[in-house]
Order: sequence, then structure tokens, then C-alpha cells
Amino acid sequence: MSYLLNLIFIILIGVFFNFLILQICAVKFYWLLLSICVVGFAKAQDSLQSKALEEVVITATKTEKPLDELPMPVSLISRTQIRTIGSLRLNDVLLEQTGLAVVPQINGTGNGLQLQGLNPDYTLILIDGEPVIGRFGGSIELTRLTVGNIKQIEIVKGPSSSLYGSEALAGVVNIITEKPSRGSKGNIFCRYGTNNTLDTYGEYGLTKGKWGGYIFADRYSTDGYSLSSDQSGKTVSPFQNYTTNLNLTYKLSKRTDISLGGRFFREKQKYSYEVKSPDGQVVSTDGDGLVYDWNLKPTISHRFNDKLKATAKYYRTDYSTATTLKNLGSNTVSYSDDFAQSFQRAEVTGEYFFNKKNFLTMGLGTIFESVKTSRYADLIKRRQETGYIFLQHEWNPLTKWNVIAGVRYDNNSVYGHQLSPKLSMRYEINNNFAFKGSVGVGFKAPDFRQLYLNFNNSAGGGYSVLGAEVVRAQLELMAEQGLIKNYLLNLSNIGKLQAERSIALNFGTRFKPLPLLTADINLFYNSIDNLIENQAVAVTNANQTIYSYRNIKRAFTEGIESNFTYTISKKINFSIGYQLLFAKDKDVISRIKSGEVYWRDPNTLISNKLEPNEYFGLYNRSRHMGNAKIFFSDKKLGLDASARVIYRGKYGIGDMQGNLQGQTVPSSDTNGNGILDIHDDFVHDYVVVNLSVAKNFINHFRLQISVDNIFNYVNAINIPNIPGRLFNLNVGYFFNNNQ
Amino acid sequence: MKSIKLFLTVFFLSVAILSCENNPITVPVVSTTYKDLPADPGTGGRDQVGNLLGTKNKFTFFSFKKGQIVDNKDSATAIWDVGFKGTTIIVNSGTFGPGKTQAQIVTGSFDNYPTAPDDGYTSDSFPLPDGTNKWYSYDNATMVITPIAGRVIVVKTADSRFAKLEILSYYKGSPAKPDAMKDSDRYYTFRYVYQPNDTKRF
Repeated sequence: MSYLLNLIFIILIGVFFNFLILQICAVKFYWLLLSICVVGFAKAQDSLQSKALEEVVITATKTEKPLDELPMPVSLISRTQIRTIGSLRLNDVLLEQTGLAVVPQINGTGNGLQLQGLNPDYTLILIDGEPVIGRFGGSIELTRLTVGNIKQIEIVKGPSSSLYGSEALAGVVNIITEKPSRGSKGNIFCRYGTNNTLDTYGEYGLTKGKWGGYIFADRYSTDGYSLSSDQSGKTVSPFQNYTTNLNLTYKLSKRTDISLGGRFFREKQKYSYEVKSPDGQVVSTDGDGLVYDWNLKPTISHRFNDKLKATAKYYRTDYSTATTLKNLGSNTVSYSDDFAQSFQRAEVTGEYFFNKKNFLTMGLGTIFESVKTSRYADLIKRRQETGYIFLQHEWNPLTKWNVIAGVRYDNNSVYGHQLSPKLSMRYEINNNFAFKGSVGVGFKAPDFRQLYLNFNNSAGGGYSVLGAEVVRAQLELMAEQGLIKNYLLNLSNIGKLQAERSIALNFGTRFKPLPLLTADINLFYNSIDNLIENQAVAVTNANQTIYSYRNIKRAFTEGIESNFTYTISKKINFSIGYQLLFAKDKDVISRIKSGEVYWRDPNTLISNKLEPNEYFGLYNRSRHMGNAKIFFSDKKLGLDASARVIYRGKYGIGDMQGNLQGQTVPSSDTNGNGILDIHDDFVHDYVVVNLSVAKNFINHFRLQISVDNIFNYVNAINIPNIPGRLFNLNVGYFFNNNQ
Repeated sequence: MKSIKLFLTVFFLSVAILSCENNPITVPVVSTTYKDLPADPGTGGRDQVGNLLGTKNKFTFFSFKKGQIVDNKDSATAIWDVGFKGTTIIVNSGTFGPGKTQAQIVTGSFDNYPTAPDDGYTSDSFPLPDGTNKWYSYDNATMVITPIAGRVIVVKTADSRFAKLEILSYYKGSPAKPDAMKDSDRYYTFRYVYQPNDTKRF
């Protein structure tokens, strides 16, 4: 009964907070509000609490730190939690986290990560601190990453370019894989479920004397799924993939460790479509899509003395795809796409403990990147180099204060140099609550498409899109041939592309209003003033427009993220998460303010002036997102279970290129102003409910049943990455010999 | 409903104009909606690359004074003011015709656009190849042409009379949510106000 009361209490607290927040729509007021609330709670609660098992993360500072002590917003997803929810791929796990949205790519397929309202392009995904490459339409496809070998997932929100450089603008997701454990440890798991989805993996870790080894292998296959019956071909075509992962360690001496890590991934997808050509003829096509990625990371670290530790590492990763579709019957190639990317990095880092109050981390390295693809009208291998140095100082002047200041300098052969500073501070008032604040600069390098694209659309009016690195040469060539009618910009301004830069603020608190209730609240603001967007640069004599990319767009995202976790008992844990988000284009706001933007009522066809408060913001952002989760675990009975409710508020879509089945995805903007306002058509808000229950037998066997999306929510046109209800059966065998 | 709206528009405009004491206007100007003006539509279907079949590549001409379409055989005369073909709108002057009609596109609400500008009129088409003078937006995904809300084309005719014009729809029957695959395009629905008197006020 008391559980129930407590439960009601926490729900009320959550609702109260979120209600308060909703009522006040300007972020500057949140800051005030938050300070008042927190100070109020702090005065009320001053009792000592027993500290829970310390959770340690590495991503935020590149050194191991207790999660509780970090001055920036960081969250951690443990292996236990991943097991309990019974997920298989990274997207399954991330879409249940507060403030993260898994969004489809530009053609409506795929799964990319949106963080603090910023596109997937702006979040760096790492495996053991090293970047995963191979973005398509800006997204790292999250289904490429299995969760079977994951020890924990660390998510740092806010820019981390001061440590990680490009792409760490919105934040960093770092997947920490399992390492050789003490003694030996192993697992064999098999999951079978809806859509003939079968996942089998095994892992084994062993330490013997100076040697340690961990090996992991996974095979995943699925028939895919189809959301609309009137279309041939599938929303997600059948595919199978293999992942292997190896980690070896050797203790060279008391002070020196060497290690070798590696991963290999291969995927084959089988496509089969019927495409209707404009004259009504139906053409059947089929073919395979192949994806490879692999990486290798040798590392050596040496502890010179109690104060100085140095690490040298080399990392290489390659990613390639090859897709060929053929017309059935004529056997001619209808679509062909090849892409190969390579990334190499050599880095040396040093850590120096001056004393208990001062700790310094520094590093320097070089990156070599190359790309070669049929997408840019030629098969030239494009290369770029980056040299970088970073410095981070941690200072604990008083027990209650913790200050981390970092700066990184990158110098790139294509887009020049970047300086990315960051300052974070934490102030602990007492054991029950602390303030955190950070201000930092993030950056994202222009992507390959923005640099090298050479696209000419001869049908449909005719236009060309040329990347910043190729546009000048192409324009000069066309001018020589007398094809250019006029330039729309000064020629000296064309073809110069800089990295996109953000300035971000994060301010938050972690406090315990009740003995077993923990609240995490973070306010964020990201401002980017030089977003890359295509712009018309010249017109040919045939009246065709030539576009290139320029740093012209300005936008911001701001909001509040809150998590309330209540430990109802040792067995039951309940949490509520909520994110309020505003993501808007600054230029659109100024256009609306100057009275240039109207909207047309589609029924009466009358145009009205749009008011600033009627502008909703950027596409694909929900103003409200949230989750409620309950986790149960009884070690004695060997039972664990979970129920998770995931909510995503209404949002608009636009700029979609239709989906692979040829269905068109109508833009939310239906009233003739090219922006998303409250009078437009939105994608409805939705709720997905996931359940899991598992029983462990005689310490070695595990049986799990899970149902994802139990109410079978689907939206075939707008949300093709939600597959409908999935039943799964999971069987596992595990052993653990701790010597 | 529409007729009520039209009535109200006419009524309020009349009241507004009549109540303006300094203005010696006797003929009230009215907003007229012209429906489904064909602007070289196809005769059905598309070829393999999506081009319309059966287009004649000829403009449809319109005279504000007459309030109706001008026969294409009068293309070399000054009878017509504006011409429509596909997404292109031309005026009768410069490279397009022997007349003196010029125009410009302005931002504003059609109903609350009381006075034509003094200058800024050109013989340019709508839109120009560089993307200016644009009256519509194009959705790459759905291939739908949408008139931009709040764009008014102000026309100065050969005899220095003024008209304002707003494009409402590019599809036959002005569907609320046009479907490029099903609805017939190249049919203009627009409304206009023609001021027959020697004044810039509408």
C-alpha cells in the first residue's frame, strides 16, 4: 500500500514540475524557477544518504570518473538495464532514453540519433572512445551496432569538441565494450521473434597470468517488415549481418600495458521493389546492398610514476557500402551506389596528477581521412588531414567545488582551424544536491557531400548542386565555355566552407527531495550561427540554376530535460523522464517579426499574417517527449521484469524525399509559407509501450519474453522506423568463474 | 460560404471606400475570383521521365479590364495584360509582348493592400530564373506547387490603371491538399482587384 502511495507521490511531483515548466515558455525563466525550487528543497532536506554503488564513466573527461561527480550532463545505461529490456540493437536502447529521439533519414528509412534537438549529424558515436564512421544522409545507422558486447553506454550531452573535435557538437554517445574479466566469463544468447528475426551471439572473456582476452560474435537476421499492404517491396527489406569483436590485453611489465581491440561487421540486405514509372508502367527491380565496417586499435600505456601516465594509440576504421539494383527482365542496372570511407588516427595522451586538487590531461594526434564514392560523379579518392592538440585541467579548490576547463585546437587541410574551449563547474551544497553548469563550443566539419558533391539534374527544369571544393573549378570551366549567364554571388565568396560552430550552455542540478527520490534537471541552450545550407550561386545561359553550399543558416535549440528516479524498494525502481524542446530557425523568426511571413488557409484560400508565437520551429522536433519506466528485479527468485512507456509529442516533417517504396511523404507545411507553424498538419503524437519479463534458473540459464510496442502503434508514411508489435523469446546460458 | 465571404468582402471594401471622404470614387472596386484558368495543361498522362503529354506550349492571356481570357490569336496586341503558361506568368511588355503592362511582386495581405506602389514595376516574368519574383514554392518530395502565402502581384496596365493579383491555387478545383499524381495542374485560381479609375488606391 505504501508503495502505491509513494508511486502516486512521485507521479504528482513529476507532473507538477513539468506543468510548472510548461507554463513558463521562456528559458530565462526556467533558470530562475529551477534555482528557487532547488534551494527550497535543499533547505528542506539535509540528511545524509547512503551512497549507492558508484557508477563510473570515462567519456566526459577521458579519464574514469564517478558519474555523480561530473560537472556536465552525463547519463549511463548499464548492461543490466540492456539485458532487462531485452534489446538487440543500439536504437532499441537509445529510443527509450529521455531527450533522445531515433529519427529516420531523409528518405524516410534508417535510424539516426537526435540529441538536444540537433540532427544526427551533430552527435558523435564512439566505440571505446573511437569514432564510428559511415554516415548516410548525416546519420550513423544505429541498427549497425549490436548491444550484445556492450558493458555500458555513456551519453554526454552538450558539446564535447574540447575533447573529441568535430561532430561532438550536440553530444557524444560512447559504447563501452566488454573487456577481459577476472577469471573466465561467458555467454550464449539466442533470441527469436516477430518478422523471423533471429539473433544469436556468444561471448567469452578470460584472464590468465599476464594475458587477457575477450571475444564476441553475433549473427542477426530478419525478414524486415512491411507497413502498407498496397505497396510491393518492404518498408525494411530482409537483411542479415555479422559482428565480431576482439579485445586482447597483455601486461608487459608492472607499469606497462598493451592492448589490441578490433571489430568486423558485414551486412547484406536484399531489396525487391516494383517501381511505377510516370507513364504508368511497372518495373520490377531487385538486388543486394552490402555494408562492411571494421576497426583495429592497438594501444600501449605506461605509468612512469605515481603522477604521470602516458598512452599511445593508433586507430583505423574503414566503412564501405555497395548497392546494385537490376531491372528484372531486361537485367539492366537501374541503380548503383558505391561508397568507401577510411579513418586513421594516431594519438598520444598524458595524464598528470599534480596533487589531490589538480589533475591535467593532455593529448595530441593526427587524423587521416579519405572517401571515394560514385555519388560525386567521379571515383576520385578525396583526402583530408587533421592535426590536433587538447588540454584539460581539473581543479578541486574546495571539497564542494569541482572545475574542469578544457580546450582543443584542430587544424584541418580543407576547412582550416578550430578552437574549442569548454568550462564546466560543479558545486555541491550537501550530499543531497549539487549544481552543475558548463559553457562550451562545439563544431562539426563540413561533410563529404557538402565538399565534393557534383550533381546535375537534367530532368525537371535542370539544376546542379556542386560541393564547396569542386564548385569554383566547375564554374570557371563553364565560364570559359561561355555557359554562365550571371553569378548570383561575388565569385570570391563561392566555394569557401567553414566548420559549423555552436556555443552551448548547460545548467543543471541533481538533488534528492526525498530519501529515495533522485531528480536530475538540466537546462540547455545551443546556438549555431553558420549552419551549412545550399544556396543558388549562378545561372547558366539555359536558365539552369547552379547551387553550392554556404554557411548561411542560423538556428538554436533550447529546453529542459528532467529525470526523476524513485527507488520504491530494493526490488522496484520507477522513473519518469521528460524533455521540453524549442528548436527554431533564427532567420525565420526575424522574417516573421518583420511581417514577411503569411499563411494561407487551405480551405478558404485566404492569406493571413503569421504571428511570432504561431511559428512552431524546425521539422522533426517534438516539443514534448517523455517516458515512464518501472524496473523490477528479485535476485532470490531470479526474476526480472520491466514496463516502459515512451511518448513522443507531435512534430512536423518536411524536406523528405519520399521513401524507398516510392510513396510520397507529404510535408507538414500545407499553407504556403515553407515553414512549420501551428496551422500546419503535424505528425500525431504517439505512445509506445514495451514489456519484458525474465526468469533465471540455477544461475546459468535465462529465459525471457518480451513484447515491444504492445499496442501495435504504426504510422506507415511518417514513421516507417516503428515496425509494429514484436514478440520475442530470449534464451541464454551464462557462466562466470571468478578465480 | 464562399459567396458569403465574397459578399462581405465587397460590402466592407465598398464601405471602406465610400467612407473615405477625400476620395471622389464613384465606382466601387471589387475583388473577383477567377477559377481554373488553364495555363497550357496536358491532355492526359506523362511520358517516362515525367513530362506532361499534350501541352501546346502556348500562353493563356488575361485582361483585367475585360475580366476574362483573351484569345491567343491576339497575342501580338496590347489587349491582354498578363499571360500564364505552366508556372510562368508574363506581362505584356518587353520581350513578351507589344504592350506596356508592367508588374511587381510585393509581400502583404491581399485584402489589406490598399495602395499600389509608385514605382518598381518591370517587364520581368514571374518567377525569374534566379529564383526572384517567385510566387510559388515547389516540394521536391510531393512535386506539389504551392502559391506562397502573402505574395501579391501588383500590375500597372498600359493605360496606367492598377490591378492587384493573388494566386490561390495551381490545381483544378483548388483542392485543399493537392496531390500531384491525381489533381490536374496548370489550372490557376486567382483573385484580383482592378481599379478602373485614375488612382493607385484599391
